[in-house]
Amino acid sequence: MRGAGGVEKTIWDRLFLVLVAAIYIFLMFPIVLVVLLSFNSGEFLAFPLEGFSLRWFEALFSNTRFLEATSYSLRIAAISMIVNGVIGTLAAIYVARHAGNNRDRIRLVMTSPLLVPEILTAIALLFYFYEIGIGTDYSIGIQIGHIVVTFPYVFLNVSSALFNFDRSQEEAARSLGAGGWMTFRRVTLPAIKPGIITGCLFAFVISFDIFNISLLLKSLGRNTLPLELFDYLRFNFDPTAAAIASLSIFLTFAAILIIDRTVGLRSLRF
Amino acid sequence: MSATEAAPRVETPTIGVGRIGPVWMLVPALVLLIGFFVLPYLSIITMSLREASTRAVYGEGFTLAHYATALGDPFIWRILGRTLLMGAIVTVITLLLGYPVAYHLANSRSRWTSLLYIFVLSPLLVGLVVRTFAWMIILSNNGVANKALMAMGLVDFPLQLMNNSLGVTIALTHVFLPFVILPLLGNLQAISPDLAMASRSLGNSRMRTFLKVTLPLSLPGIQAGSILVFVLSISAYVTPAMLGGTGGRTMSVLVVQYLVDNFRWPAGAALAIIMAIVALIVVGLYLKLTARAMRRLP
Repeated sequence: MRGAGGVEKTIWDRLFLVLVAAIYIFLMFPIVLVVLLSFNSGEFLAFPLEGFSLRWFEALFSNTRFLEATSYSLRIAAISMIVNGVIGTLAAIYVARHAGNNRDRIRLVMTSPLLVPEILTAIALLFYFYEIGIGTDYSIGIQIGHIVVTFPYVFLNVSSALFNFDRSQEEAARSLGAGGWMTFRRVTLPAIKPGIITGCLFAFVISFDIFNISLLLKSLGRNTLPLELFDYLRFNFDPTAAAIASLSIFLTFAAILIIDRTVGLRSLRF
Repeated sequence: MSATEAAPRVETPTIGVGRIGPVWMLVPALVLLIGFFVLPYLSIITMSLREASTRAVYGEGFTLAHYATALGDPFIWRILGRTLLMGAIVTVITLLLGYPVAYHLANSRSRWTSLLYIFVLSPLLVGLVVRTFAWMIILSNNGVANKALMAMGLVDFPLQLMNNSLGVTIALTHVFLPFVILPLLGNLQAISPDLAMASRSLGNSRMRTFLKVTLPLSLPGIQAGSILVFVLSISAYVTPAMLGGTGGRTMSVLVVQYLVDNFRWPAGAALAIIMAIVALIVVGLYLKLTARAMRRLP
């Protein structure tokens, strides 16, 4: 692997590769396990696998609570994505182009939700919403929480796209007579579009997955999918739970595939 | 409301720079982050100073009693100690497991690299509840791990692998491993390969080259990754709540119990702040120690 020009692999190289392979397996094993068990026809979450079956997905799709939770999660994630797609992109452009001496300070504020534990932000918002009278009776509280926590993903990905973008293209457009808006729409926006797409998909997936914010800010009786799964597992431990988990894994991998196909995974920013 | 206070601060012309730019672009983000992030954090502090009440989640007056009660309670200290110890163990293990993977990925030129990268990234994007659920399947008494151990004849009866600190530690290690791999990978990729090659051509063994060149240069990545993992694991809620039982209860679980089950908001807020301050002290000490080690770098 690193031996330039075909250096013989020593025993240590082989041992190293075995170790690394074991760690890759450790990383993927739990996820593969859940997907396998969700398609297993057996009654229990255990090996050996008995046969292929979609019965647990049928059980899932005939459970209205899970369907409602899924659509609620999708709605919250979609709104978080759209709102952050707009305000995160605007903020990133401002910071990259106009922030001047304040750039580092503003950047710190913009990424701060990533720098503190999600559970603390959830607690803070819970208290705050009660103090300003919003409480948790409406979906607005949980929705704002999701937007705050996923904001940095859009901001960071668009910022990094702007950083890699050659500004002379803008100057060329301007010198050819394009106005500010025209230049933005025809030159800047297409160039940073991969960053916006990645940031938005990230915001969507993270919003779909996060738990702590939803746990503390949900209104009574309205569960997101992770909350519903968490509650379900308190009293049940069967392959229906694996089917829910699989569903959310598929969603994640769909997002990863889209990112990989459109912009390449290595451009991701955390 | 807070944005109107905050916006002018940004608008103040910076000396020497004539162009201020369209501040309106920043306003929505500032409204969001100041109105619903900065101000809420202040309300944790005020909440922790409020009096308890039996009729509402908090009372009228202000007091320091919650801090005094919490700090005088050996039970709280025990949970705090357990949380920190678990965080430290998870940090060390993720470093030991994450470094080889980051090193391999940074040097890999195979066509599988992209797939391996997905292996590292995907656990990060799969929800915490899902990943912890997977570990419940593996670690429970009738779980995959116990079945395998018994089938191999290594144990005669199921081991207690969850509802204790052990289960939480194993699952947290898996959950946060990507957080140490990714910063390290960025760091290792930024090191010029010429340096290692120079060391090799001067006759150093590969091991010596690694210890004297690559490892010291990757200290910033080690530092960043370990702080990230430490903070994430001591503040984790989902994994200890699902896998910890009472034996693996951590500070986060205790705080949520105060807030959601017992409706003791001020006391819960005080616990959260104590945990945050302790975490800041630990990270500060760690930064100081590692800074000393990194000062010897070129």
